[in-house]
Amino acid sequence: MKSYSNTYIFLYVSALVFIIAVVLSLVSLGLKPRREANVQAEKALQILKASGYAHVERARAIAAFDSLAEKEPSRSDGEMYRIRCADGSTGHVIPLQGKGLWGTIWGYAVLSDDLTTIKGVSFAHKSETPGLGAKITEEAFERSFEGKRLYDADGHFVSVKVVPKGKGENIAEENRVDAISGATITSRGVDKMLADGFQNIKE
Amino acid sequence: MKKYLGPLSKDNPILVQTLGVCSALAVTAQMKPAVVMALSVTVVCAFSNLIISLLRNTIPPRIRIIVQLLVVSFFVILVDQLLQAMLYDVSKILSVFVGLIITNCIIMGRLEAFALSHKPIPSLLDGMMNGLGYGFVLVVVAFFRELLGSGTLWNHPVVPQSWYAAGYLNNGLMILPPMALILVGVLIWAKNSLTH
Repeated sequence: MKSYSNTYIFLYVSALVFIIAVVLSLVSLGLKPRREANVQAEKALQILKASGYAHVERARAIAAFDSLAEKEPSRSDGEMYRIRCADGSTGHVIPLQGKGLWGTIWGYAVLSDDLTTIKGVSFAHKSETPGLGAKITEEAFERSFEGKRLYDADGHFVSVKVVPKGKGENIAEENRVDAISGATITSRGVDKMLADGFQNIKE
Repeated sequence: MKKYLGPLSKDNPILVQTLGVCSALAVTAQMKPAVVMALSVTVVCAFSNLIISLLRNTIPPRIRIIVQLLVVSFFVILVDQLLQAMLYDVSKILSVFVGLIITNCIIMGRLEAFALSHKPIPSLLDGMMNGLGYGFVLVVVAFFRELLGSGTLWNHPVVPQSWYAAGYLNNGLMILPPMALILVGVLIWAKNSLTH
């Protein structure tokens, strides 16, 4: 077997690392605009979905969003928008952020003009279990939030609770949605994320 | 040629060598991520094999594992970046699992066992076939897990609504990783009884 000097080994690895680092940096730099555009489009798509625009093409998402939404002075740390919803009314977009089982979860809730009723939500997650926690992004779950109210019959703030099926009888129907079975922690994360997000806009 | 077809059946990396099982459990709850994962592993395995084979006479044996790791990481990061730029939807689903291709033992296994001692083109083919052999098992497992676990295939509902109305339930266990292990086990059993 050929023997290699320490100098050779050192130079060999240095050269290899250098080449790889340069190529990867260039690729990363070159793709950066596309990656960022993807993230922007994703955000626009999410907000549009929560506002009732079901099937917007990814390529048109940012243009559509810009024409429908305008930024408004925010009471919370996150960005708030006013948006014209698919049904013609105006809504407020509330950014949401929380923790699921494996990583962050986030989303947007669109509230009615008086900030009391949910018009729509859309959720996203980084790494929840496919088929379990990942179901928070499914239409069936997201739609179950439509028309839910943030205040109980006496006008107290309760947020919208995510509770396991059959366990929430003490909470009014209009203040709760069914959790996803098999995804207890993720559902709790959504529950907390909503409470945190709505806390900021509470009257 | 026959030797390159081995990974697809009698020398399958998952079913015979039981390599790469961990990722096979993680990404097979649905078809789409499984297919993209299979393709990603195939690309990484094939090109790492090619590069290592091209470099094989210059790599100092004492640091060959480090060199292999560098090359594999290079391709994995490249694939990850490309997915995020071009296939954003899928990259969202695969998230961390793309990065974990680096630790897939099939790839390092092929570099050690084949690329270091063979010419570039055979190495490229060997990597590709091993990736496909791995991917084939992934897709088969994902097919059954998505069908029985979620009632869908490629995110399209296939179990008719009337079945649910009649009391049919999706098997929640199918979605969890232990069931993937059992399915892989069943495949190994089926394969062994077919080839012995």
